[in-house]
Amino acid sequence: MKVSLSWLKDYVNIEMDVQDLASALTMAGLEVESVTNTFGYLDNVVVGRIVEISPHPDAEKLKLCRVDAGNSTVQVVCGAPNIAENILAPLALPGTLFPDGSTLQTCYIRGQASEGMLCSKRELELGDDKSGVMVLSGAPETGTRISVALSLSDFVLEIGLTPNRSDCLSVLGIAREIAAIQKQKIKYPVKQQPDRNNDIQKYTSVRIEAPDHCPRYAAALVTDITVSESPFWLRKRLMSIGQRPINNIVDITNFVMMECGQPLHAFDFNLLAENRIVVRTAEKGETFVTLDQKERILDPEMLMICDGEKPVAIAGVMGGLNSEIANSTKRVLIESAYFNPLSIRKTSKKLGLSTEASYRFERGIDPLGTVNALVRAALLMTEIGNGKFTGGVIDENPLVHDVVPIKLSISQTGRLLGIEMERENIKSCLESIEFDVENTDADTLKVTPPSFRVDITRSVDLMEEAARLYGYNNIPTTMPFIHAETIPPLKTLVLRDKIKNIMTGLSFMEAINYSFINESSCDRLRLLSNHTKRKLLYILNPINDEQRVMRTSLIPGLLETMRRNLSQQVRNLKLFEIGNIFLSRGQETLPEEVEMVAGLWTGDRYNSAWYAKDAGCDFYDIKGIVEGLISGLNINNIRFTKMPFELCCYTKQGYTAQVTIEDMPIGLVGEIHPDVLRNFDLKQRAFIFELNCNTILDLTNRAKTSKLLPKYPYTTRDITVIISKDIEAMSILEKLNSYGEKLIENTQLFDIFEGDSVPPGKKSVSVRIVYRSAEKTLEDNEVNGIHITITNRLLREFDASLSA
Amino acid sequence: MENTIDQICTEALREIETAKSKDSLNSISVKYLGRKGIVTQFLRNISKLPPGERPKAGEKANEIKKFLEKAFEDTANRLYSQSLEAHDFIDVSLPGRSALPGSLHPITRITREICDIFIRMGFDIAEGPEIESDYYNFEALNIPKYHPARDMQDTFYVSDNIVLRTHTSPVQVRVMEKCKPPVKVIAPGKVYRSDSDITHTPMFHQVEGLMVGENISFGNLKGILTNFVHLMFDEKTRLRFRPSFFPFTEPSAEVDMLCVMCRGNGCRICSQTGWIEVLGAGMVHPAVFENVGYDTTKITGFAFGIGVERITMLKYGIDDTRKFFENDLRFLRQF
Repeated sequence: MKVSLSWLKDYVNIEMDVQDLASALTMAGLEVESVTNTFGYLDNVVVGRIVEISPHPDAEKLKLCRVDAGNSTVQVVCGAPNIAENILAPLALPGTLFPDGSTLQTCYIRGQASEGMLCSKRELELGDDKSGVMVLSGAPETGTRISVALSLSDFVLEIGLTPNRSDCLSVLGIAREIAAIQKQKIKYPVKQQPDRNNDIQKYTSVRIEAPDHCPRYAAALVTDITVSESPFWLRKRLMSIGQRPINNIVDITNFVMMECGQPLHAFDFNLLAENRIVVRTAEKGETFVTLDQKERILDPEMLMICDGEKPVAIAGVMGGLNSEIANSTKRVLIESAYFNPLSIRKTSKKLGLSTEASYRFERGIDPLGTVNALVRAALLMTEIGNGKFTGGVIDENPLVHDVVPIKLSISQTGRLLGIEMERENIKSCLESIEFDVENTDADTLKVTPPSFRVDITRSVDLMEEAARLYGYNNIPTTMPFIHAETIPPLKTLVLRDKIKNIMTGLSFMEAINYSFINESSCDRLRLLSNHTKRKLLYILNPINDEQRVMRTSLIPGLLETMRRNLSQQVRNLKLFEIGNIFLSRGQETLPEEVEMVAGLWTGDRYNSAWYAKDAGCDFYDIKGIVEGLISGLNINNIRFTKMPFELCCYTKQGYTAQVTIEDMPIGLVGEIHPDVLRNFDLKQRAFIFELNCNTILDLTNRAKTSKLLPKYPYTTRDITVIISKDIEAMSILEKLNSYGEKLIENTQLFDIFEGDSVPPGKKSVSVRIVYRSAEKTLEDNEVNGIHITITNRLLREFDASLSA
Repeated sequence: MENTIDQICTEALREIETAKSKDSLNSISVKYLGRKGIVTQFLRNISKLPPGERPKAGEKANEIKKFLEKAFEDTANRLYSQSLEAHDFIDVSLPGRSALPGSLHPITRITREICDIFIRMGFDIAEGPEIESDYYNFEALNIPKYHPARDMQDTFYVSDNIVLRTHTSPVQVRVMEKCKPPVKVIAPGKVYRSDSDITHTPMFHQVEGLMVGENISFGNLKGILTNFVHLMFDEKTRLRFRPSFFPFTEPSAEVDMLCVMCRGNGCRICSQTGWIEVLGAGMVHPAVFENVGYDTTKITGFAFGIGVERITMLKYGIDDTRKFFENDLRFLRQF
């Protein structure tokens, strides 16, 4: 909502400086978002004196003027009839931005340079006169800014109104707040009554067929009007708040709306069939052309203003082209109605059409303000449009607005606000904004809010008003007394924090990507058509295609992040993200939200370090991270098994492992498939893991008990076997562990070798077995015996041989 | 004879002082303590003394022997360390084998800081789904369908009744449905609004707070939030509470703090106002209590919502919210 200081001053005395006013309004809940100087556009316009006039060599009607601009003298080409040597006139210098949007530049007119422009009142929006340059009286110094010379000063305040304050969608509404702040009374425009004779009834009628949508409809008739341009003061008022003047009739309806918040509509009465108004809902499929020349398709929930035959306006939203005020209009029917806010809101939303009128109606205008505004507009039309106000108004009011008083407890107010407010204090706050307050008993006030405060319906609304006007900052700051009992910490949060800490400890950087992804990500990830990650949840109104669906995997986000970083020449990345994925159960139900953690490692294992050769990271690097993470979470029994080829999508077959803990699959680790790299426009290998935190959560939180430390020394035996290349090395350890030999404390894989000394198709695997007894120091003989038995069993079961 | 052993000792110590290397020290050691060394000889000769003097002289000589042994050892150690200093060194300027930690996202850091402050004030933490029903996101919070207040937040819709939550406030409702008062809880999380420019991203983070009980007042709200801002920034940070509107609180307030950049003089960050909006708050609207079945005659409470990005930008001097989700490593590394 924009409002100019000078307009406000029509209704309230403002003693404060404009910045103080802005801050006082802000502190009263009307946040002033900006204060702009209305005459800012005149900053490059100065007082100029015409020193010399000579004819233009190539144009009969133009003159060359040498103009003293204070510091300099400039040449101006001018064609105004009233120029004379020694007169003072406003001189616009290059760079001036005119109210019509054009910018003045030095130019050549018929070969002669014009380094400025001598302006008329009209050109500077300082008046109507456009017949010649504006001659300045008095003796202002040349070069003085015109705004200074003419003492022009006005400001426009832009106020960010909250949706509850529909009463402030008018200059009067804001003036009312200022009056309350200054503890003054507002000066309303004189309320005039229409003529008692009810002549209007002879000419027209209003029938409301949908009273739920239209509780009140008032109309007035003005005849013999002359449609023309509005006078300067009216145009100025509208333009100051960013409204475009159209003609005197339309401008008056807009002016009154801006003044008091009641939207009005003017119909060309001669174009209304049967000269009457019918208020009804639209018929299904009915179409209608609005003032903006667009055809609208209507539905039966939309309220229409019709004449005897056809719709002439979409109620509260926009008028129709078929009854628009034109230069030929002679008789005007003015509408001033109260429409149901919900009805207007629905219509406006469905049509995707929001206007100054609909904005006010849907927020709720003053239900008792219709006739006042109507008369104000009609009288202005008689004044400005030379019209005749046909006696009386029509005021159909099938649903009467009830004003309901609200009881306010003084003690409850104090309890809620945390300050003992005196009865008189509350009373004076509420009365300052025109609430009617009566004492009922020792603790209770009976408060009747004014009709324009449609937001006030319960006692807490009154408490807020009292607090607001008392000043939030005058309420003492106190600490609550609260119960100390507490609940256990949220397990999901504890796990998430742990994972984040471990991952950063493992030198990974945390990334946060958007929860939405491009729908094509599934294809780009090579997901099979029946893959669970294809259960996409769609956003109906995405900002762009990149954000059309909710993510079903964290991998696309990480790959996008990788791409962005590579484009910045950052090629060594260790990133992780933890966040929800969303698996659709249909658009009409809440999706399954699963918290996942994913990591990505790409580039070198070390950042060009002196102690290591440059080498790209590989599968075992990222696998090590997963092992580190899981171990850091105190979870044992993690297993990595080869992911069946047919289940590999975005990771490379043969380079992907499924991660399981106690037979529970928790995710995967692997190398990104080359096709996927290409699909994401990546030119560098990448290794990822993605694990399900919900599943991990089920495996944590197990009680830990400490074990006794061994008392006796261990002894080790190594064994190197030659086995088929196809056999997974870890299966040897698993086999060893499966023998159940109590003296084996631990087994470690310490070497893998393929090459010269090993036959083709085979590999050599070296394992160290740690033996220890809890009861005694083991003798060599005993260990050797067990070791030989185990070795032989292993060789047999793996069809292996000992290395030479 | 006693004098002699003392003289030997003095002489030996003097020679030890002169030793410049391990070798020269060794030969001195042999000279005194070797099999034919002076001290050894002296000990052997004790048997030649009259029997009455032997024990005392023996004791003394052994003491001196031990003393010299210690002196040789100490000197050997000293010479060894000296030799290390001189010849044995590495280039300590080389970077260590990398064990540098990664980094938490700035949003995580600040969310943790915010939560820590409230946890210390006795709040619990709750979470809720990021995709919500219209009921929890709007209606239960006193924002009926077609209410103009819906324009305050540009909502992403999944269907007529399913939305991406536009704030963490639905968690309030879910918590109150489950728990009887008193309730004191904060709810951090992601929220979504259809808005994208230098100060808005379609996804961002909030921390919602709720404290409900008997006699919880607006003054208490001011107390808790002032305490929070003082801990988050510093104790000199001035605050102002100004009236605002949220459908689910009444009275509602926007909380501004004195601009951290210009200290109130007006700058680009605060749009010349000297104040920066940091959070929205208010007393829980009775309609919300009615929706969760709380007794509005007994129970009052307050709620607030903190924009994590906003606080993070102020804390770290970040000028563009979009940076948070581009995850440029050069940006992330700074935190």
